Amino acid sequence: MAESRPESLRGRRLLVVEDEYLIAADLTASLESLGVEVIGPAASVDEALFLVETNGGRLDGAVLDINLRDERVYPVADVLTARGVPFIFTTGYDAIALPNSYAGAPRCEKPVDKAQLVRWLSDPVSRK
Amino acid sequence: MGMSFEPSKEELFELIVESSIDFAIFTTDSEGMTTSWNVGAERLFGYAENEMLGCSADVIFTQEDRAAGAPGKERSAALWKGRGADERWHQRKDGSRFWASGLMMPLRARNAGLVKITRDRTEQHQAGERLRENEERFRLLATSVPQLVFLTRPDGDRTWPSPQWIDFTGLSFDASLGLGWLDAVHPDDREATQSAWHEAHLTGEYYIEHRVRRAADGEYLWHQTRAKPLQGQSGVLSDWVGTMTDINDLRGLQNRQNVLMAELQHRTRNLLSVVQSIANQTIRSSSSLEGFGTQFGSRLRALSRVQSLLARVEDQVIDLHALVTAELAAHSEGDVTSSKIKVGGPAVALPPTAAQALGLALHELATNAVKYGALAQPTGRLEVTWELKAKKPTAEIALEWRESGVSMRAIGSPKRKGYGSELIERALPYQLGAKTRLEFGPDGARCAIVVPVSKESTYG
Repeated sequence: MAESRPESLRGRRLLVVEDEYLIAADLTASLESLGVEVIGPAASVDEALFLVETNGGRLDGAVLDINLRDERVYPVADVLTARGVPFIFTTGYDAIALPNSYAGAPRCEKPVDKAQLVRWLSDPVSRK
Repeated sequence: MGMSFEPSKEELFELIVESSIDFAIFTTDSEGMTTSWNVGAERLFGYAENEMLGCSADVIFTQEDRAAGAPGKERSAALWKGRGADERWHQRKDGSRFWASGLMMPLRARNAGLVKITRDRTEQHQAGERLRENEERFRLLATSVPQLVFLTRPDGDRTWPSPQWIDFTGLSFDASLGLGWLDAVHPDDREATQSAWHEAHLTGEYYIEHRVRRAADGEYLWHQTRAKPLQGQSGVLSDWVGTMTDINDLRGLQNRQNVLMAELQHRTRNLLSVVQSIANQTIRSSSSLEGFGTQFGSRLRALSRVQSLLARVEDQVIDLHALVTAELAAHSEGDVTSSKIKVGGPAVALPPTAAQALGLALHELATNAVKYGALAQPTGRLEVTWELKAKKPTAEIALEWRESGVSMRAIGSPKRKGYGSELIERALPYQLGAKTRLEFGPDGARCAIVVPVSKESTYG
């Protein structure tokens, strides 16, 4: 697994937005075991926006579940885009109709392949 | 020179009459006595000239018409109005009948009598009758089926709208003619409605799904419109007959089905992710593969119980009582009504996510009770009760899990906070915004869970 270079995630600050606790907790534990400083997890758009605001200049990336309880995560994606923070969507729909502005955005399908997720998080720019 | 070769008018007249074998031409006096009878009359009626001369010509009428005085009426119409129409069944000498079409007129000198010219139009008459019958059948069908029926030119130019169309759209017969009917089609669908005629000319069938305005409430309902050329007619401008069928409910169901399919896929994928997470969490807390197998299997079954409750209800909500009962039944060999266990509370409908989170938490509590608590000791009792509290902005379910009669000394306090504690103290607040408290009192475990619920989640 030299390709995934998990050590390169050490010390990164990553926002996790996922409304399902068990998934959020598992993802958080996995990322923390790789030395990531997890911001969140956040279960709603409001919580996520608050975390982006308070961690403003110090976010290295984000994992965003598209479908939160009664809302979509796009407002968070908008703010991250504006701040130049790379993010990856996770979704349970394989053919979900993304808004045009996110048509080409990176995403991974649930259940998430963590190795794939970690590879992307290690080097989001070249994999975009 | 040529004068001597010119035939007299009388001679000419006689030639015409005698050669007109398809026309029955005969004369009578004003009383109906036959005074002349041509070859055509012989052929048509079957009576020879010598049989008829001096006899009443009324024999060619049917018995019913004679009884009704039809011959006299025809003669008086001819005498007084100048012509008597003769459109009726006549009777031959052999009794057979044919449909005669002709006229009776007075001869110029009134006292010279009357002339009648008639011919056999049975075939035409019967064809006309058949056509009328067919038209009547079409109209009966077109006006009694629930579809909106129409006749149209193959360019959308309507020539006949059924009464149902007029009722449904509120457009009058005249307003619907030509392209007037397009007024009742949704403006966004008009272009497609008209351009479908190009396709129709290639396939021989017109087909479109479009929205048509209902006059009663102004709502546009989806209709499926089909048209085909009338049989036996060809050429560019022949008539087509079409029907418009209300498919609004069908389309609604299809849309709903698509939404449900997407939702189902989302839930399935999410459920798989939850299973993956439970597996990972269980691995982290397991010291052996055996221990992992037992715990993971038990947790999967709890998840599966919630799923099967979900599958059983149509509106995708779970009654709290059913959830609690199913979980306890799985841990008490099905005997939920034993004196050890008491369950009670008002009816509350839980949305799927809340049901799943609560179900897993209850599972951990029950597992614990079976291992160390109220369900492990003969003196132990368990009460699971809840109340529905009307609070602003949302109502709350306050659930209490209370074990009693448990000797905590016998087992000692739990060694460490486990998966159950995590679900109750962290998952429920995170996922449902719940407030929770879990404690191990001197006579057993107590757990209080307060879950905010939307108004729709409560019955009544």
